[in-house]
Amino acid sequence: MIRFEGVTKVYEGQSGSKDVLALHDVNLEIQKGEFVFVIGHSGAGKSTFLKLMLREEVATEGEVYVNDRELTTMRERDVPYLRRSLGVVFQDFRLIPTMTAYENVAFAMRVTNISDRDIKRRVPYVLNLVGLSGKAHSFPNELSGGEQQRIALARALVHSPAIIIADEPTGNIDPELSVEIMELLQAINSVGTTVVVVTHEHELAQRFNKRTITIDHGELISDVPPKPMHPVRQAAPQRPVMPQTQTQAMPRQQPQQRGRAIRQPQGMTQPQTRAPQQRRSDNGGYMEGGK
Amino acid sequence: MRFSSFKYLVKQGWHNMIANKLMSLASIGVLASCLFITGAAVLLSVNVSSFVSYLSQQNEIEFYLSDTTAADAATAFGQQVSGMDNVAECSYISKAQAVEEMKEWMGADSDVLAAYEGDDNPENPLPASIRVTVTDLEQLSATVSAIQAAGGDMIYKTQSPSDLSSILVSLQTAVNYIGWGLVAILGIVAIVVISNTIRLTVFNRRKEINIMKFVGATNAFIRMPFFVEGITVGTIAGVLATGLVCGCYFGILQYLAQPSAKWLWEFTRNMYPMTDIWAPLLIAFVAFGSFIGGVGTSTSIRKHLKV
Repeated sequence: MIRFEGVTKVYEGQSGSKDVLALHDVNLEIQKGEFVFVIGHSGAGKSTFLKLMLREEVATEGEVYVNDRELTTMRERDVPYLRRSLGVVFQDFRLIPTMTAYENVAFAMRVTNISDRDIKRRVPYVLNLVGLSGKAHSFPNELSGGEQQRIALARALVHSPAIIIADEPTGNIDPELSVEIMELLQAINSVGTTVVVVTHEHELAQRFNKRTITIDHGELISDVPPKPMHPVRQAAPQRPVMPQTQTQAMPRQQPQQRGRAIRQPQGMTQPQTRAPQQRRSDNGGYMEGGK
Repeated sequence: MRFSSFKYLVKQGWHNMIANKLMSLASIGVLASCLFITGAAVLLSVNVSSFVSYLSQQNEIEFYLSDTTAADAATAFGQQVSGMDNVAECSYISKAQAVEEMKEWMGADSDVLAAYEGDDNPENPLPASIRVTVTDLEQLSATVSAIQAAGGDMIYKTQSPSDLSSILVSLQTAVNYIGWGLVAILGIVAIVVISNTIRLTVFNRRKEINIMKFVGATNAFIRMPFFVEGITVGTIAGVLATGLVCGCYFGILQYLAQPSAKWLWEFTRNMYPMTDIWAPLLIAFVAFGSFIGGVGTSTSIRKHLKV
């Protein structure tokens, strides 16, 4: 579904300034139907990771596959068709303020040359999926942050994408409402859509027991599969866990795991990847949260 | 592309234009003035060349004879001229005939000439003349000199189309040069103003463009409304300029039709009538306007719409 093979991205410095190495030799694979968190603090390279998946940027070295298409050599005119197979959600929602919720969702279909009849059929359906049928004719400024993000999510779903990519989807939303968004993403995932959530909030990744990829200083430093748990307990954590600083510092103590942990199928565990999980549990990680 | 998408894109383009009222008006104004000046220069040029070609068809030279010339001497001179090279026809117009011709020309106002009528009327101020047409216009001036040499003192004035036509031809050349110079400068200004307008629209809509990009709109689809905007601006300017040029031309025709402008009659009757000019002007202006609009759009869009 998504595969990075030895991906390096260097931003060339503008006249005089130095080149910036944003990602260095990243290898990973995300299977169809997975739910993955990509975490890292600002400047770690997660935005570049996102842009490479969306083909906003092209890898300097290596190959990026999304939906079985190789993006590095992709022709410019094929990019729109790649993006129609992806649904993207941003931290700032990116809704058009002069359009109603319905029109915002319809816009994504209109500009991709879809007939009026199909738009009329599809938009109410996706608005219903995100639970906002009743607010179809409200403008974004009349809606809460959570509702706006749900509209953005509805817009991302109109093309029935195989992958949903969410960039800090809960960044601008109250903590209580962000759970709603995450649950919605889980529901979307449960019907087979691959979901990639890029965030700097380690707590978020910890509250939902999902595969978590950590990027720091342009390198993939850990790739932790979800801990096998009783399905009922997976969601609904009680309180945030573990200070961020500890989480960030932790993987650097385990540099040997990098490279081995990647590209392993979901569910299969290796000793290298188990180590950090145990540490987290010791520190009162998700085990406690699940209770 | 679906019809509904096409409709949507056209609507978006117009919406942009209205949202950007001031800049759209500025672009329309500049482009319309450019077209107006072009139109004025072209009309002046075509009318002058029509007059020049009329004049060369009227290859008639008139030699006015001094009043002291006796009638039989004049007739003899006429016969002499008839035998000369390059002379197709030669006729003698007496003083009395000159008055008759003038009466005919003045029509209803000819009463004022009543006092000068009749043979050998001493009050008659009009001179007798020898009227000559030539077979080869190229040798017009040589023929004229030969006749003048033969006539000697008898001829006090020669009216030949060659003088006027050479003035008109140089006027036409000047009009062409100045006209095209202005058109080139204003054309560039129009392109700059239009591309600036489009740039503003792109800037105003950058959020929407960004959204269009990540939901997978094709580049052509994103660009289309901007072309609609540019071409609409061009078309409106074209129609406006046609209206202005035709209005002014109509005014000039009206003015020249007045009795006080009769002295320009020779020129006036060779001018193109309104019915002949408006359609070609409209077609040319709309085509040129939308072309400039399209060029203005494409020059700004590539740089500011990295899609």
